[in-house]
Amino acid sequence: MEQKFKEIIAQYAKVPVEEITDDKKFREDLGLTSLDFMSLLGELEDEFDVEFEEENAATVFTVADALEIMKNLTEGE
Amino acid sequence: MSKLIREILDDSQKKFSDTIAVKWLKKKEIMERNYTDTIAYIRKIRNSITEMGYEKKHFALIGQNSIEWIESYYAIVTGNNVAVPLDAGLPLEDLIELLNRSDSVGVFIGVKLKGYIDEIKKNCPAIEKIWILTEDDIEEADDIVRPLNELIKGDDVNIESNAPKANDTAMIIFTSGTTGKSKGVVITHYNLAENVEAVGFNAESQHTVLSVLPIHHAFCLVMDWFKGFSIGSTLCINDSLLHMIKNIGIFKPKVMLMVPLMIETIYKRLAVASETTPKEVLKEKVLGGNLKVVFTGGAHLDPYYIKEFEDYGVLILEGYGMSECAPVISSNSIEDHKVGSIGRPLPNVKIKISEIGEILVKSTSVMREYYKMPSETNETIVDGWLHTGDKGYLDEDGFLFINGRVKNLIILSNGENVSPEEIEGKLALNPLVGEVVITGEDNGLMARIYPDKEAAERLQMSDTEIESKLRECIDEYNKKQPTYRQITGLYIRKYPFIKNSTRKIKRQEVLIDEPIE
Repeated sequence: MEQKFKEIIAQYAKVPVEEITDDKKFREDLGLTSLDFMSLLGELEDEFDVEFEEENAATVFTVADALEIMKNLTEGE
Repeated sequence: MSKLIREILDDSQKKFSDTIAVKWLKKKEIMERNYTDTIAYIRKIRNSITEMGYEKKHFALIGQNSIEWIESYYAIVTGNNVAVPLDAGLPLEDLIELLNRSDSVGVFIGVKLKGYIDEIKKNCPAIEKIWILTEDDIEEADDIVRPLNELIKGDDVNIESNAPKANDTAMIIFTSGTTGKSKGVVITHYNLAENVEAVGFNAESQHTVLSVLPIHHAFCLVMDWFKGFSIGSTLCINDSLLHMIKNIGIFKPKVMLMVPLMIETIYKRLAVASETTPKEVLKEKVLGGNLKVVFTGGAHLDPYYIKEFEDYGVLILEGYGMSECAPVISSNSIEDHKVGSIGRPLPNVKIKISEIGEILVKSTSVMREYYKMPSETNETIVDGWLHTGDKGYLDEDGFLFINGRVKNLIILSNGENVSPEEIEGKLALNPLVGEVVITGEDNGLMARIYPDKEAAERLQMSDTEIESKLRECIDEYNKKQPTYRQITGLYIRKYPFIKNSTRKIKRQEVLIDEPIE
């Protein structure tokens, strides 16, 4: 799952997947706007069949933050 | 005089009775309600509120775009009460402050924000009722907290609320002020009616619109909803910004109102996909296949996007407005438009350019005042002219153009206005922050900080430690903010900012006197 997850992020940020390390910040380091970031979460929802809350988006800063939420959501099913 | 919102609604029920008024998603299923039923729901809610004795009272709405939100909003406004739509993404402490400052006696709150209720009860003594925006029953009901369905079920309510008059207040919308504290824009029924009438988009009624703008914005409420309902459109609700692109595919709208950031985001998706997929296919896949017209406003849009979208058969029409003008001031139209311009002033608008180049507006849609802020009102409306804070000019054909700002407000491409002073004030509370300026750069907010050297020395901190502490400070601030108000960059200055003779930082110099390396 982690690999697919990072591939989608890489496609959004238009960088090679190797650059998607856990510490990367979506907005500061990967240059995504707030809405790019929202759309990315939407795409991750579809890919992994999970549901993000829009309110929680504000607490996701890094790749690791998103991955953790994703893992919790998929494990919680 | 233009028909008021309640009369427009009554007319729509008669004219468009069986037409679908609203579509929305429940889980993954598309739900729909026709004009007759939608307006019947609105009437039930407003009559139930009236039966409880509320008239000319203020009711706040906090929640994401939903059928329950919009029906409650219509019920408040047409029921001779005052709606106070608030940004659900604001920190709870800000919402509490606005609930108190707006003198709200009731709140309609989204299901997902139920966690806020205890704090609202504790900190907002004037709040008498909190309705949860759901048509289902709720567990936490008590004397104050009630489900919305209780208002809708009121079949036996025989009372009918008095109709609002033209000069009654319809809503109070909070907007970022240049002085830091947000201001409540007081909009009357007449202001709204005139704006709905003046925007000349009547060409094709009964088309499908996907409403993606934040529902607490005047642009969304007046142009998607009031205008849309007045011409019999089918309004589809975008349940979340996470799903905007997916929902275009689901609802296949013909018309959309967007802020520039949304257009830019869709364009990026088109650009990536167009490397491998023909445009004709993308038109169907990404744009739903029916999209013909996009109205945009709230911030500047690079004309590049207008040309690019033409290739997909989509006409982008820029307009200009602000909450203080309820909200549209000028707009391009299908028949009459010019790229790079924000269109001709509406028929009810007069434009004057001041000596310093500021756009001044006189219009029947100009707000009455800022709520309980007389000096700010008098600074903004002078001799009947509203000072927009934008610089601009009218060309020889009468089209309006913007070319700068007078006031110190950052306009993000999502249309949100951010007061840099408000954020600076919060960051300055950290003892390590000596001087700070917030600027809008690359579609985000940049904090430029000159550290307090004395404090750093006292704490015996190295430059690396200072940077790490300042980053922590920014992360802490960001955690409490909606994504668009988060700081996306930090630059630590080597030298203090240049000041003027009154020791104020010269903002126009900050990008050039110490450029980021």
